[in-house]
Amino acid sequence: MEEYPEEMRSPPVSLVSVVGCSELHSFISTHLHSLDPPINTLALPDLSKVSLLLPPPKPNPADFSAAAAPPPAGILKRDWLLKHRTKVPAVVAALISSDRVSGDPAQWLELCSEIDNLKGLIRGRSIKLVVVVVNSHSTEEISEDQMVAVRKRAEVDAKYLLTFYTGEDSQLKQSLHRLGTVFAELAGMYYRDEGRRIKLRIERKSSGPTDLNIRYSFKVAVYAEFRRDWVEALRFYEDAYHMLREVIPGVSTRLSAIQRLVEIKTVAEQLHFKISTLLLHGGKIMEAVIWFRQHNASYRKLKGSPEAIFLHWEWMSRQFLVFAELLETSSAAIQSISHLTAGTADRPLTEWEFQPAHYYQLAAHYLKEKRSSLDFAVSMSEGDIDYSAESVAPSSHMGQFARLIEQGDAFVMQPLTDEEYMRYAISEGKRFQDSFEIIALLKKSCESYTNLKVRRMASFCGFQMAREYYAAGDFNNAKLLFDDIASLYRQEGWVTLLWEVLGYLREGSRKHSKVKEFIEYSFEMAALPISADTGIQSFRFEESGPAGPATLQQRETIHKEVFGLVSEKLGLASTENGDDVKVSSTNPLHLEIDLVSPLRLVLLASVAFHEQIIKPGSSTLVTLSLLSQLPLNFEIDQLEVQFNQSHCNFVIMDAQKPLVASSTDGQSGHRRETAPSLRLSTNKWLRLTYDIKSDQSGKLECISIIAKMGPHFTICCRAESPASMDDLPLWKFEDRVVTYPTKDPALAFFGQRAIQVEEPDPEVDLTLGASGPALIGESFIVPVTVTSKGHEVNSGELKINLVDVRGGGLFSPRDAELSADSHHVELLGISGSEGEDESQLDTDEIKKIQKSFGLVSVPNLKSGDSWSCKLEIKWYRPKPVMLYVSLGYSPDNNGSNTQKVNVHKSLQIEGKNAISISHRLMLPFRRYPLLLSRTKSVPDSDQSVSMPLNETSVLIVSATNCSEVPLQLLSLSIERDNDDTERSCSLHGGEDLLNPALLVPGEKFKKVYTVTSEMNSSKLILGNVCLRWRRNSGTREQAGSAAPVMTNHKLPDVNLESSPLVVSLECPPYAILGDPFTYFVKIQNQTELLQEAKIFLADAQSFVISGSHSDTVYILPKSEHIISYKLVPLSSGEQQLPRFTLTAVRYSTGFQPSIAASTIFVFPSQPHFKMVAVGDDRKESVVAE
Amino acid sequence: MIVCVAVVGHQNNPLYIQSFTDADDALKLHHIVHCSLDVVDERVNNPKKSGPTLNETFLGLLYPTENYKVYGYLTNTKVKFILVTTDLDVKDADVRNFFRRFHAGYVDAISNPFHEPGKKITSKTFAEKVSTIVKSFGFSSTG
Repeated sequence: MEEYPEEMRSPPVSLVSVVGCSELHSFISTHLHSLDPPINTLALPDLSKVSLLLPPPKPNPADFSAAAAPPPAGILKRDWLLKHRTKVPAVVAALISSDRVSGDPAQWLELCSEIDNLKGLIRGRSIKLVVVVVNSHSTEEISEDQMVAVRKRAEVDAKYLLTFYTGEDSQLKQSLHRLGTVFAELAGMYYRDEGRRIKLRIERKSSGPTDLNIRYSFKVAVYAEFRRDWVEALRFYEDAYHMLREVIPGVSTRLSAIQRLVEIKTVAEQLHFKISTLLLHGGKIMEAVIWFRQHNASYRKLKGSPEAIFLHWEWMSRQFLVFAELLETSSAAIQSISHLTAGTADRPLTEWEFQPAHYYQLAAHYLKEKRSSLDFAVSMSEGDIDYSAESVAPSSHMGQFARLIEQGDAFVMQPLTDEEYMRYAISEGKRFQDSFEIIALLKKSCESYTNLKVRRMASFCGFQMAREYYAAGDFNNAKLLFDDIASLYRQEGWVTLLWEVLGYLREGSRKHSKVKEFIEYSFEMAALPISADTGIQSFRFEESGPAGPATLQQRETIHKEVFGLVSEKLGLASTENGDDVKVSSTNPLHLEIDLVSPLRLVLLASVAFHEQIIKPGSSTLVTLSLLSQLPLNFEIDQLEVQFNQSHCNFVIMDAQKPLVASSTDGQSGHRRETAPSLRLSTNKWLRLTYDIKSDQSGKLECISIIAKMGPHFTICCRAESPASMDDLPLWKFEDRVVTYPTKDPALAFFGQRAIQVEEPDPEVDLTLGASGPALIGESFIVPVTVTSKGHEVNSGELKINLVDVRGGGLFSPRDAELSADSHHVELLGISGSEGEDESQLDTDEIKKIQKSFGLVSVPNLKSGDSWSCKLEIKWYRPKPVMLYVSLGYSPDNNGSNTQKVNVHKSLQIEGKNAISISHRLMLPFRRYPLLLSRTKSVPDSDQSVSMPLNETSVLIVSATNCSEVPLQLLSLSIERDNDDTERSCSLHGGEDLLNPALLVPGEKFKKVYTVTSEMNSSKLILGNVCLRWRRNSGTREQAGSAAPVMTNHKLPDVNLESSPLVVSLECPPYAILGDPFTYFVKIQNQTELLQEAKIFLADAQSFVISGSHSDTVYILPKSEHIISYKLVPLSSGEQQLPRFTLTAVRYSTGFQPSIAASTIFVFPSQPHFKMVAVGDDRKESVVAE
Repeated sequence: MIVCVAVVGHQNNPLYIQSFTDADDALKLHHIVHCSLDVVDERVNNPKKSGPTLNETFLGLLYPTENYKVYGYLTNTKVKFILVTTDLDVKDADVRNFFRRFHAGYVDAISNPFHEPGKKITSKTFAEKVSTIVKSFGFSSTG
């Protein structure tokens, strides 16, 4: 696009001329240029110099009659557009200073002549005239008469006589604005008139020479463009373009057909360019694309004479390039092309036709055509002397060339013959380096496609680019591109395309003596899945490039060549420095094949162990399987198998080649195996199975297999597990026989190249000697014994872990926040074996103890020795806990590199409550204080117990052994919990235990206290029950050694309350049948008030009663009322006394003693008691008849 | 005239490619077929562009090169058929018809129990059938 002249590339801009008053020119031209649409200004300082601007008019061509006109020499004049854009103004503005208008008559006359002169120049053309009177002093008004005189003189409309004020900014601005409007109007008028004038000519000369009609249409279109009438411009450009098409059929008959065709194409190119630009600027991308397609279709076949065909291709290439550039600039403005519908139904447009990349690619394609035909033309014209190429220059008509001949001072254009022209064109063509241009075009296309993520098109462009580089000898650039493209073709399995790319790479490597690359590419090519029956026809040599035809035969040739090279029989014939490059001792070659290498086709190594786990020292089998897709059989001299444990490495020799084996005795100490044959055939697994043994535990993994072929060539092939082996790339699409790497199909599916070598079996016993559940509070002892049974224990370490059985931690998170020592279960300590000093243990052996973790070092033990220690664990909450103990040691004494052996043991231990303590508070027998808080009981108010004030109550504390082992109770006491709160009552209990009491499981121990509240407080704090106990372990000594455990139980506080009434029943402890006794009911009023009480006594079957059944009594304040009944028992045994009911009227509460309290035993006759003293403290009453 | 037909598999790998030219430009045709896969991807990934051709197996004209036209077809199992022709004035109906017959032939070929899905089609019967269809393409368009 850059090669077009500027006037073609940009839309035309109206041109006006200002004459005179040069000090204002810069103002005016800046202002006009900033208008929309802009106006260009042609400035002349002096009115008198106006003839420089406008040469005297030529005789009007319209004066000639149509018949008399000579045939035009060309279609378009080269400089016509430039002339109208830069030289012929549409409007001339004469700037006249006001001084001259209003000045003296001499000045006026001078002015008049200048205006006349100007008028004379304009006459005959339709250039518009504007007269501007410049008034620099706003105060000085020019009189109306003077203005009219100027107007008359200049023969302009009043509209076009302007006064231009320069005095103030605002006036200046206003004047400029006015000037701009007038200029725009007049320019529009001028270009319209011109257009109309030419249009008339077209109509008049419709039968005239088509060349002229084309020229006129072009002019009309240009004038329309000046007016920004794009629609009309487009229409006339298209008219011109279509008329041009009509010229073409007559071309071949003409004398200088080649030049004529060149001219037509040049004009067509310009017209097409204008049309495309207008379409694209109008946002009509689809129309532009369709237009381009038509343009392409109509001119593509117009090749012209064969010797000039390169000109055609060059022209075609330029069409594509220019359209690509146009599309690129306009599609940057139009963001998305995707909304465009894909063409019309009969002419569908495809995606890429909207992409500049498509056109760049085709431009490159045609440029290549041009190059090859130019090369041909050059070779044909060899020997000709291009004697006059310099003097040929473009002539006055577009697309025409002529020879410049110097005749004296002037140059004369002399038309060329076609032959001369061809010589000129060829010599011109030779000057350009097409290959760089082609690469640049392809690069643009490639980048553009890559940005669109169109990988395959981009690769194709890249491939063509790389071929250009290759042809130009730039192998490094070519290789970069080729490698990239090859990876795409490998991935998608396009074997033929890959073959071609690899062919270039291979030849390039050969030319640049890159032996390693040459061998790699050769191997890959030889192993490609191309067989005789793939149906791919043989290609021409030129087309298939240096690779040759993709056939099995060619693969075999390559195979032989590369094996010749590695076996050092052949050298690599390098063209660059002439001498052969060989694989030799000074130039050894080593290839690596990993899991993603394309060379996996060449050699694939699969390694499978026959077992998954082995014991150290025991042997298992390992199968190596090798597969190659090379077309011919080949032999491997030696295979080296490498493991991660290097002492397992071994070397496999061919049994038939003993000599080679001895010669390569480089690596000493490695196992050497032999195989019957190391010959690989196409697509056939070579399976080799050997013993393998490792003494080292851990993972044994086969890393790689190194195949040695020839004296200085090795291939290192990464070992793959059959279980996780990928399919062979490229070959996986082939319809071939699939075989397994191992004979055993199970191994082929699940075989691994790694094996786990176990640890040696421990020969040490670890016993945990705990029995039974642990009791909360005690430090539970778990003896741990390490007994060596064959292994020596060296640098042993015992790890102890306490783990919650149900998961989770050994402490609740809530507690953990509160205090650190709230572990539910805690490892307290580890004590050594008996007899060892405790302090020594602390410093030396106990390495670390945490609450649930411990680490102890174990002294070195000889075989048969044993060592033990004790773990102390304390439970705080009932919780089952898993105790894990693991011993790690090394059986050998020789340093740290030997492997550790681990023994693990675990034991679940339950933590249980040993003792549960309960208590009970009771009132004295048959004495019932009225507690008001009990009468108006709220359903949930029984949280705290109430006790009457100033009464003596009984507290019974009982401790139950709820464990499964007998316990010794050492003491039971009630202690105040805190010193600062005084005990508000006095407790009197039985004497303390003299000897530890034995509690068998389930047994209960009770102790009775009397409680008397001492103070007038409302609350009675009883304190804590402290129980000291220990596990009863049978023998006395051991029992003494175990530390007693203290269990605390908090007694709840008791509310105290004064009772208004106390009822006590009194009757003898027993009665005798028929013997009357007295039953007293005492009602004690403890208040200061008179108490009214209703009493009621129910009849009882077994007694005869005397006394009132029901009554109302009044009890005086602080006094006691006694009601007595006389009862005679009628039957013996446990008898129910008559039920007594009391209702306190004041408190509206009733009272009835409990049934237990109102029973009495009736003896049939008077009993006899005998007191017996018992050995211990307990008193027993024996009831005797 | 049809110059090349191809069956392209899921990984964009050629399953069957056959050219029918006397001139030895098979490699060029391979390149054209390979490049046309980009358009197939584009059409399949942005179905909104094709609008009315949604859910249709026939993909239409993929791209015009200077001398060839490339048509595409996508089976319901996402196997692509590519057709390269030198006829610059081809009726869509003819191409559709061709692809329908080609598809039937392809289905027959891969229904062979000895054919492994995803591997190249080596059946000679298929090759014969394809060449018959290709030969009849020119006649049906004129007739």
